[in-house]
Amino acid sequence: MEIKDKNKPIANPSVVLREEFDDWAILFDPDTAEGFAVDPVGVFIWKRLDGRHTAEEIVAELRKNCKNVPDEALTHYNEFIAELIKRGLVGKEIKKEKTA
Amino acid sequence: MRLMNTPREVDLCVTTRCNLRCKYCSHFSSASDVGKDLPTEEWLKFFEELNRCSVLKACIGGGEPLCREDFPELVEGILKNKMRYDIMTNGTLITDELASFLASTKRCDSIQVSIDGSNSAVHDTCRGEGSFVKAIAGLKLLQKYSLPVTVRVTVHKDNLADLDNIAEFLLEEMKLPGFSTNSASYMGLCRQNAEQLMLAPEERSFAMRKLLDLSQKYNNRITAQAGPLSEAYEWLQMTDARRKGQKSIQDRGFLSGCGVGGDKLAVRPDGTIVPCFQLPHIELGRINQVELKDVWQNHPELKRLRERNNIPLSDFEFCRGCEYINFCTGNCPALAYTICGDENHPSPDACLKRFLEAGGRLLEKCQK
Repeated sequence: MEIKDKNKPIANPSVVLREEFDDWAILFDPDTAEGFAVDPVGVFIWKRLDGRHTAEEIVAELRKNCKNVPDEALTHYNEFIAELIKRGLVGKEIKKEKTA
Repeated sequence: MRLMNTPREVDLCVTTRCNLRCKYCSHFSSASDVGKDLPTEEWLKFFEELNRCSVLKACIGGGEPLCREDFPELVEGILKNKMRYDIMTNGTLITDELASFLASTKRCDSIQVSIDGSNSAVHDTCRGEGSFVKAIAGLKLLQKYSLPVTVRVTVHKDNLADLDNIAEFLLEEMKLPGFSTNSASYMGLCRQNAEQLMLAPEERSFAMRKLLDLSQKYNNRITAQAGPLSEAYEWLQMTDARRKGQKSIQDRGFLSGCGVGGDKLAVRPDGTIVPCFQLPHIELGRINQVELKDVWQNHPELKRLRERNNIPLSDFEFCRGCEYINFCTGNCPALAYTICGDENHPSPDACLKRFLEAGGRLLEKCQK
């Protein structure tokens, strides 16, 4: 098996994003019953984890849409994605092997 | 209080049918007893809306939900739409095949089975001949597949003397982690059988004392959100606060005893959305005809119920002159409705002053 594009994470399709009126949200995995609280920036990123956007593209879009995005945004993005991967909320698309 | 965007959970009364006729059943003869069930496809379509609304959990009840031949299909629909689920059942229709299926879903948070006695003679008095044997068989099947089974014991006149045995049977013999209790309340069929079933003040005093002692004996493995054990904790807290000279308990002195409209909605067997399965007379619209999110955010009846906790108990003639007024919550709006005809009224059933005046006792020894 080969990871199709390491730089393009994809949201676990089973996970529910539950947004509220105020600016918090929760990512809920119905298979484990675990929830993970995310802020508005986290929600912004989550909605772009479709396996087509690179980290650089998402952070660039974030800079375009939000004020006061820090210089270390890409590092913060990578830390956030690493946490989501650790919790099973995000994965990487696997390239299918050709069978004879 | 900030309102959630959509309800977090939904209680689904998926059928009006039941294979039993328990004498205190809150469903039959209530506004939820509509005589017909929605077809499968209506529920499945609604589950898709629940998914769009990011609802996290569905609690499946009835009637008896396992009377529905399409029950596994409904569970599949819940899974497909990213929810977890609870089941409330009398336990008598559970089969090995069903228990195996439920275990395979890995999304079941709890299956509550009603057990009212330590043996057939006690359990079957209210729930019908043969129901104990079948319910225990069902319970054992759920345990066989390591499902998260819970038991609800409804306390009434006929099982009061069996509480010690029930605790021993469920916690020691059946090895359940715990069980919850309530009592036969003035709702549904119980209204016709109130004299026969509901606890008189002296019996209620006994039940409170007994359940407090048993809860202590079994390291708090016996719990309650209503009924004698819950009342014992509640009323002892009120009398204790008053004795210590406190003027009030925070957020009390208002109709604050229920969080209706806070994080849940319910649906009747005919698809009518209601605020709570115990308030089935308040109709908020029909599933698949109205938008759940719109009902949740804008329905005037829900807004009215959410404002309950701003209504001071001092507004009610019923509470006037009561020394516990600043310590009280008015308790359950559903019972207030069935007794007084108005959900925005304190529940007379939960009134400490009335209980004491009628000869009820709160025993010092019971205090935690």
